[in-house]
Amino acid sequence: MTSETGVPRRTLADELRSWPDERLAELLRVRPDLLSPVPADLTQLATRAGTRASVSRALEGLDQFALQAAQALAVAPDPCPVEVLAALLPGGAERLPEALRALRARAVLWGGDDRLRLVRTAREVLAPGPSQPSATGLGPSLSEAAAGMSPARLQEILADAGLPATADPVSALAALRELFTDRSRLADLLEQAPAAATAMLEKLVWGPPYGEVSTTPSAPVRWLLDRALLLRSGPRTVVLPREVALHLRDGRAHRRLEPTPPEVPVRREFPTASVDAAAAGQALASLTAVEELLKEWSRSAPPVLRAGGLGVRELARTASALELAESQAAFWIELAYAVGLVASDGEADERYAPTPYYDEWRDLPESRRWAALVAAWLPATRVAALVGGRDAKGRTLAALGPGLDRTAAPTFRHRVLTLLAELPAGAAPDVEAVAERLRWERPLRASDQLRQRVCAATLAEAELLGVTGRGALASFARALTAGDRRQALTDVEKAAAALDPLLPEPLDHVLLQADLTAVAPGPLRRPLAETLEVLAEVESKGGATVYRFTSGSVRRALDTGRTAAELHNFLAAHSRTPVPQPLAYLVDDVARKHGRLRVGAASAYVRCEDDALLNEVLADRRSEPLRLRLLAPTVLAAQAEPAVLLARLREMGYAPAAESATGEVVLAGPAGHRTPPRSAPEPVPDGPPRPDARLLTAAVRAIRAGDLAATTPHRPKAPRQTPTGELPRTTSADTLATMQSAVLTGDAVWIGYVNADGAASQRVIAPIRVEGGFVTAYDHTADEVRTYPLHRVTGAAEITEE
Amino acid sequence: MTGPLIVQSDKTLLLEVDHEQADACRRAIAPFAELERAPEHIHTYRMTPLGLWNARAAGHDAEQVVDALMLYSRYPVPHALLVDVAETMSRYGRLTLTRHPAHGLVLVSTDRPVLEEVLRSKRIKPLVGARVDEDTVVVHPSERGQIKQTLLKLGWPAEDLAGYVDGEAHPIELAEDGWALRPYQRQAVEGFWHGGSGVVVLPCGAGKTLVGAGAMAQAKSTTLILVTNTVSARQWKHELVRRTSLTEDEIGEYSGTKKEIRPVTIATYQVLTVRRKGVYPHLELFDSRDWGLVVYDEVHLLPAPVFKFTADLQARRRLGLTATLVREDGRESDVFSLIGPKRFDAPWKEIEAQGYIAPADCVEVRVTLSESERLAYATAESDEKYRFCATTGSKQRVTEELVRRHAGEQTLVIGQYIDQLDELGERLGAPVIKGETSNAQREKLFDAFRAGELSVLVVSKVANFSIDLPEATVAIQVSGTFGSRQEEAQRLGRVLRPKADGHEARFYSVVARDTIDQDFAAHRQRFLAEQGYAYRIVDSEEYLAGS
Repeated sequence: MTSETGVPRRTLADELRSWPDERLAELLRVRPDLLSPVPADLTQLATRAGTRASVSRALEGLDQFALQAAQALAVAPDPCPVEVLAALLPGGAERLPEALRALRARAVLWGGDDRLRLVRTAREVLAPGPSQPSATGLGPSLSEAAAGMSPARLQEILADAGLPATADPVSALAALRELFTDRSRLADLLEQAPAAATAMLEKLVWGPPYGEVSTTPSAPVRWLLDRALLLRSGPRTVVLPREVALHLRDGRAHRRLEPTPPEVPVRREFPTASVDAAAAGQALASLTAVEELLKEWSRSAPPVLRAGGLGVRELARTASALELAESQAAFWIELAYAVGLVASDGEADERYAPTPYYDEWRDLPESRRWAALVAAWLPATRVAALVGGRDAKGRTLAALGPGLDRTAAPTFRHRVLTLLAELPAGAAPDVEAVAERLRWERPLRASDQLRQRVCAATLAEAELLGVTGRGALASFARALTAGDRRQALTDVEKAAAALDPLLPEPLDHVLLQADLTAVAPGPLRRPLAETLEVLAEVESKGGATVYRFTSGSVRRALDTGRTAAELHNFLAAHSRTPVPQPLAYLVDDVARKHGRLRVGAASAYVRCEDDALLNEVLADRRSEPLRLRLLAPTVLAAQAEPAVLLARLREMGYAPAAESATGEVVLAGPAGHRTPPRSAPEPVPDGPPRPDARLLTAAVRAIRAGDLAATTPHRPKAPRQTPTGELPRTTSADTLATMQSAVLTGDAVWIGYVNADGAASQRVIAPIRVEGGFVTAYDHTADEVRTYPLHRVTGAAEITEE
Repeated sequence: MTGPLIVQSDKTLLLEVDHEQADACRRAIAPFAELERAPEHIHTYRMTPLGLWNARAAGHDAEQVVDALMLYSRYPVPHALLVDVAETMSRYGRLTLTRHPAHGLVLVSTDRPVLEEVLRSKRIKPLVGARVDEDTVVVHPSERGQIKQTLLKLGWPAEDLAGYVDGEAHPIELAEDGWALRPYQRQAVEGFWHGGSGVVVLPCGAGKTLVGAGAMAQAKSTTLILVTNTVSARQWKHELVRRTSLTEDEIGEYSGTKKEIRPVTIATYQVLTVRRKGVYPHLELFDSRDWGLVVYDEVHLLPAPVFKFTADLQARRRLGLTATLVREDGRESDVFSLIGPKRFDAPWKEIEAQGYIAPADCVEVRVTLSESERLAYATAESDEKYRFCATTGSKQRVTEELVRRHAGEQTLVIGQYIDQLDELGERLGAPVIKGETSNAQREKLFDAFRAGELSVLVVSKVANFSIDLPEATVAIQVSGTFGSRQEEAQRLGRVLRPKADGHEARFYSVVARDTIDQDFAAHRQRFLAEQGYAYRIVDSEEYLAGS
């Protein structure tokens, strides 16, 4: 800590210079945006750490109490002794050192405990101003609010407040401030206030501190205005000065100070075994859900909207085909997309279809398939729960469409899971309490609405994926929260390995019954399940699967080239019990009819050994639209398309087989639609990648070296002292540092500048503000305030006073 | 492998019957889940709101249901399903119909928002009177049935605790001389009496008439019995005289031919639903005496107007008897709200296993049509197709051959089309019973058949219901009402009565191959298989040649 050394530092850069390497590394770890690119030296690091964007990002990483401490510092004097800060945060003394440590680690706060200083940008961000209300609900200080008041009016106020007249406005304000910060004197003054005035102050005390008044204020308002207890901030608005508000609040900076994180209460506790069983069951169901979805899309690939994404009607269709609610269907669709199982096929008539990776994924063992889903879910930035909502412009957010990325989502997701892991085993938390806890941990990270949305969605999705069971984290899923997010992949594999023994062993048999059903009393081995799905219709799903054999399904199996004998063998091999006679009969009966009629594609004909059958077809009125003609006793020709012909004949109750040009039976295999190879979408990164320890060490070393080079030699920058007509040249970092220190000191600098036409010039400017790559300055050369882009400034040098 | 039960996400329950815990599990889930299919290995039960409310009415609570599912389930039970069960069951009984000492019939709620919700319904408004207090509202006594029906439709079934009037007392005893109620019949009577009103589900041939007689002996009051037709009415009378202390004179028949009103009156649905000039002239029957018990035979056939009359009879005890709760018109919910919840249920197979009904060998005989028949079939108008293929000459020949094969056994030939039956009757030299056959003639023929004087009888669908032919060992159906499952159950019931010699019953369906006859048959066969009857399909040529 700097206070230990006893010497107060002059700047943040100085302070950073005194830090040990580990602290610097920690700073770069918690604010990784400072690392890209690696700063040349500590001055540059300090400069960059003070930019608005970086500070805002650093503040987002604070918990509620640290943030409240920072907010309190922003309304406290600068620098501020720790005692003064503690007085603003009554009840938080115990946790204050921790909060200060967090602020210091992020280099948002520097200086010793006796002179705490917020980084100037942080102060600007957090301090109350007319356009940005502070979370504290405090207004501007007396001197800020009274700026621009006429000296005569000030003297009147002094008189009304019962103070002696002073020589100038500065001392007048000082006298007033002294009155306002003296508890007993201000209390005495307020004692005399009319009741209506006290009521008015009470309205403003917890903020917002601005109130509306008429142009001719009422008596109580006038009483307050006359004593500067309220100050005019506009023609119709008044503001309560910070000192008065603090007095009325007994010195509290916040109405509700939240030094400790809110508890997450346990809603219900279940036995671990029951949680694990439920979760494992759901893990299996999640695989089925994804598979069902992709099977459905293999058969009927939905079109991609022109603006990207899946149409509302297509989503509804998919949901009803899968017998799911639309919100759930949207989740599985987004998940399949995140895993890389589904993508757009990139054809002219663009459609979504399973990727070739789907075929690979399908062949993986259950636990590995689950791992793939979870591994994609954890870091996903797309939030499926937003599907169906509207964006800022009122457009509906489509599944797979644009506008669903929320960079905060993975952080929240991970945190929700770790919170679950912190509860006792088998405990299911209260959903709202989880969101509330997350709000405390990162109040600035996202809007409350988004946070609640993502929290609720994460809990629901975790349940769907079998990461939780009955609302409690499954014991096998604990591995997911073990390490930090960089090791997520190995964690997922560990979880999957722990899940494996809980999954039911796939079966290799079914029970065949006389009502022409087959019941698989558990998950089936893949090849068996696939064959059965061709040979029979799925009637009921869940832990078990019920299949029903129909003549249509048996014909479908025969259509894929299987023979009746093969089907008999298949049934006998996979049935625990004898094949029921009606089922065997059904197979034979369909096989007997199957292929008896042969339909050619090239000339659209029907041929058949049995000429009576052809006569029958020809005589059937339903065949009229086909315009059939008997070519030979065993051949019919048709004018209709072969496909129409086939369908019509099947409708009429026949089982024709299609024939190729060479007379072979065309086998109609169920080939699903696939995209070309596609890689899975990358989640949108939340800021720069997290640096690992090696990078951090290297970066710190590089900065140190650069800093040494920049500071040790202290060679006078002699040539720059005298303008010789040559443009000053400095590195961009030096330029920036020079400008920023000039802003602080108010000194003028001499710069080289290249204008938009490429013409170089030299100017002397007094920088006012450096922000967003621009310097705003009073240009002595032009005698006006101008803004220069920093990248056009070739160099800057301080002007010597000589 | 642990539990015998698999809970599917579509709310069906699969029970593995060979599992050692299967029996216990069946008993645990039977109160709330309807047995839908009972083939040889895996029985399918279905959970429906009606089933869950039936369970609530029988005194089971959601916890018991959830426990039963969790205890026997092999895989984790989907959480959403458990929540849904609890939610559905909690809906029953929030509203109750009770008798208020001052205001008479009232609807009372334990959950005020529910009462508010239903009172807001347009359909409820005309049925209720003044609000007694915040939780109670007066119900017009005449609307007791109507309000129960409407509340069920709104999803808030009311529990009817308003009690029953005793009716006019009349002594009735069972005359158990040399016979006794079977255990399951006794349970059924007890279940009904305990519940007040309700439906007893027993397979054909399991002695539903005796359950009715048992209930009457409990009620000991005047009884109105509603049956499907006159033959059935006579059989009830015959049976009651034989099994109870009632004499012929105490039992009246109220039908197209006779209009007797006695302490026990048996009326046909047909006569009740006669309508002249927009009014039902025979409705007064319901008010003609102070009935203490109303028995509905074959509830699944109860015609819609009778539901309407039943709505006005809510203060009388009501017993429904049926072989199946499945109604082809889907009015199961009216049965639930107007007659009462299911009070007893036993699957066919179980009673068969106890030896009370005969096992049956079901055979579908596929007949290949001749070429000319096929051609004619293909060109037939679509509404004529079924009639054509069901009555082809090839089928007639096969049917004759089958009858010949079973010569000497009591054989019934059952069909739909009169021409076909007449022709068969002529060729087989057997009498035909059809709609125009007089009741006297019918009874004469039935008696002859029972006595063994006649061994072959050809019957049309008039014989589908409630005729009692104890000695039929072979039934051959040649055509039917399309794919009706109900009819199949009734027809199979003809041969399921236990045979004196323990001979296995034979049930043939003669079906024309590759026609819609075959499709309809498949539908009926599926019903048989689902009831646990193994069936075989044979080709007529092979079957007849092979013996």
